[in-house]
Amino acid sequence: MPQNEHIELFQKRYGFRMDYQERQRKKKAREHKLQSKMAQKLIGIKGKIFAKKRYSEKVQLKRTIKAHEEKKTKKKEDGKVPEGAMPAYLLDRENTSQAKLLSSMVKQKRKEKAGKWDVPLPKVRAQSEAEVFRVLKTGKSRRKGWKRLVTKVCFVGEGFTRKPPKYERFVRPMALRFKKAHVTHPELKATFCLPIVGVKKNPSSPMYTSLGVITKGTIIEVNVSELGLVTQGGKVVWGKYAQVTNNPENDGCINAILLV
Amino acid sequence: MAALSNFLEIVIVPTAKDFIDIVLSKTQRKTPTVVHKQYKISRIRQFYMRKVKFSQQTFHDKLSTILTDFPKLDDIHPFYADLMNVLYDKDHYKLALGQINIALHLIDNVSKDYVRLLKYGDSLYRCKQLKKAALGRMATIMKRQAQSLQYLEQVRQHLSRLPSIDPNTRTLLICGFPNVGKSSFINKITRADVEVQPYAFTTKSLFVGHTDHRYLRWQVVDTPGILDHPLEDRNTIEMQAIAALAHLRAAILYVMDISEQCGHTIEQQVALFESIKPLFANKPLLVVLNKTDVIRLEELKPEQKSLIQGFINDDIPVMEMSTLSEEGVMNVKTEACERLLSHRIEVKIKSKKVEGILNRLHVALPKPRDGVTRPAFVPETVIKQRLVKEPKIKKKTERDLEVELEDDYSLDLKKNYDLPADFKYDVIPEFWEGKNIADYIDPDIMAKLEELEREEELRIESGVYEKEEEEMDDEEKEIHRLAGKIREKKAIIAIESRIGRSGGAPVMPRAGRKRERSVSRLRSEFEELGVDMSNKGGAHFSRTKSRSASRPPIKKARADSAGRVSSSSRVTPRDQSGIRDVELKAKAKKMGHKAQGKMNQFGKAGEADRHIAVKMPRHLYSGKRGIGKTDRR
Repeated sequence: MPQNEHIELFQKRYGFRMDYQERQRKKKAREHKLQSKMAQKLIGIKGKIFAKKRYSEKVQLKRTIKAHEEKKTKKKEDGKVPEGAMPAYLLDRENTSQAKLLSSMVKQKRKEKAGKWDVPLPKVRAQSEAEVFRVLKTGKSRRKGWKRLVTKVCFVGEGFTRKPPKYERFVRPMALRFKKAHVTHPELKATFCLPIVGVKKNPSSPMYTSLGVITKGTIIEVNVSELGLVTQGGKVVWGKYAQVTNNPENDGCINAILLV
Repeated sequence: MAALSNFLEIVIVPTAKDFIDIVLSKTQRKTPTVVHKQYKISRIRQFYMRKVKFSQQTFHDKLSTILTDFPKLDDIHPFYADLMNVLYDKDHYKLALGQINIALHLIDNVSKDYVRLLKYGDSLYRCKQLKKAALGRMATIMKRQAQSLQYLEQVRQHLSRLPSIDPNTRTLLICGFPNVGKSSFINKITRADVEVQPYAFTTKSLFVGHTDHRYLRWQVVDTPGILDHPLEDRNTIEMQAIAALAHLRAAILYVMDISEQCGHTIEQQVALFESIKPLFANKPLLVVLNKTDVIRLEELKPEQKSLIQGFINDDIPVMEMSTLSEEGVMNVKTEACERLLSHRIEVKIKSKKVEGILNRLHVALPKPRDGVTRPAFVPETVIKQRLVKEPKIKKKTERDLEVELEDDYSLDLKKNYDLPADFKYDVIPEFWEGKNIADYIDPDIMAKLEELEREEELRIESGVYEKEEEEMDDEEKEIHRLAGKIREKKAIIAIESRIGRSGGAPVMPRAGRKRERSVSRLRSEFEELGVDMSNKGGAHFSRTKSRSASRPPIKKARADSAGRVSSSSRVTPRDQSGIRDVELKAKAKKMGHKAQGKMNQFGKAGEADRHIAVKMPRHLYSGKRGIGKTDRR
């Protein structure tokens, strides 16, 4: 019965075949043929996967070749100027001119009027009612169409109870109610799964805000006590705003960026 | 032994990347692939939900087979549990399996959530995105298990190569310092080919071999050497030996090297013995002194001898052997086996199961015929020889010669010929002076040939070789003749049928062909065979009554060239075949017409036409329920 390292023992005692090394060498030399055959013959999904893998391999190869070539040739180092550096003869000047100040003021006024805020996603596509709601036909002969089913992801608070079903106009299905969001801290580049406290503002319509509908670009408030942030005064920060960056109804999860 | 076979049957654990590839490609192959956005939304949803569920099921199945196949350390024999702990670290093993279990539950949860979400997908794009997210999530969970999967695969490979040690059968366990000769001993008594090398810790794990004694199979387990330090300092290799010592109920052979070639003195070896003595409790023990070809027990220094004497004083048997010269090896094995056997019998007797066995055992001895003892007879010379105790001269074999000469060796079969030296290697020719040498090999060959020829002549004369002609009587002759005739006739028929099969010509259906089997043909054929057919008027084959009464009488019997009457050339028409008289024929005709009438009325093409032109004629399915119009639906 072959026990423990019987393969290595056999190789130690009897060595390899006489042509073992040659066969290994030849097999390796034939590998490029197999690769090209596969690349030509594979079709469909397998072909795509193979092509992708091969592409990344080729990128690596090209990088190593380039690195080798760089060693061989000598290049002139073009002097990299760090950002924000100014030539010596401009050092003592005041940079912002009068005109610039005026124009920046005008721009800010315009921004306030238009309602664009300093958020990661300043402009979002407006969601029409037809997109967000779906008509739910009720009644014995299914003719009454005053109920609406929310098709987007929404947040209802804790202790939420529905209105009596007969009078409920907006139906928010349980499957589309989310309590947690994946929030990314923009500077730390780390993502946390934090509970949602509430929906602050939905850019498409205030009605959506009151219903708690979460679409791309919505500002939500999240519970950041997990992160352990502390204010200057020593108080613990437990709620912060975050903006949703994906389409939650397509992905099944809410991804957001923390607004710091 | 069942445990060991389980170790070999563990399913292969793929790497994380391969795992994902397998499941995703299986999903792609086994679920429908085509969906369009104009399908009903329920159909689109079902399509994508099926994919998510299928992936989840496949992941679940594969992960749960991994979890069930790997042995649970609590369910296997404690020897194997301990061995696996030593080799693979119990905590790491349990953790890896635990991680796989967690991954399993996570994947189930992901699938549940996304199937719930899919129910509210209202477009193909949305459903597709949700399915992509679900599958992606499951794949990410598997990617995180890469380390556990890799570890489990390594464990599985190592497990499959473990020696199959049965913890319950008769076992001899060999232990001692490294390099004392344990592996050489096991190589000598079993067929296990354990590596023997001059450096310490050549044997790095347990090896098992099997040997026979008293028609029973005995397991011999070889352990790696143990050094003398406390248990906490022991490394993995030594711990395997300790695990075997602790859990196997076996006879222990403690091997010592009295020549001290292993690098440790006899004092050190005895010290080791004392330190592992607790492991020898309740086990038959045997101290074996190895390498006696270098130095014998008598030649030892008195201090060392006293240590060994200490063993004898403690009632532990001490034996000498040398694995190199093979003296005493068999004695050691026999002694160890005997001790273990008696120990096991003792244990069995003390247990309760014995009574059941003892009741059924009965040793029957033959009744002595008379009072004369008849011992085994050994000739005097043999006894004298045995007493002399000459060392056996080992004959030098060809293999030894080959090993000695290495490259210069060539097989020489002529060297043992019984000829004088100058003739031994001569080449024998085949012919000489025009004569075959093979004919003259034997000096008496001519005489032998003559004798043979004479004998042969005698035999021929006496008629040994003559074949007896069988005398056939009349019956047999007749049978032979007939058989010949039959054979001939068969051949003719075969040829005729082959000729008859002319290629390509359209063949009439069987009913339309000339009636082959007719009375006239019967008559002619039997007459050919020699049967008298003259007065067969009342025979069954002759037509006594005309079959159909309505057939018009034949004007003249039309005979063909062979003289056969062709009254049978016309076939009975279908509406007359099977009908015995005119009334029945009329009735059959009427029935036929009646059945057709209804079909014709509804314009049916035939009996099998079941087409309904109007499935719901309005006059039947509408209107108030009247007197009786609607009950004829």
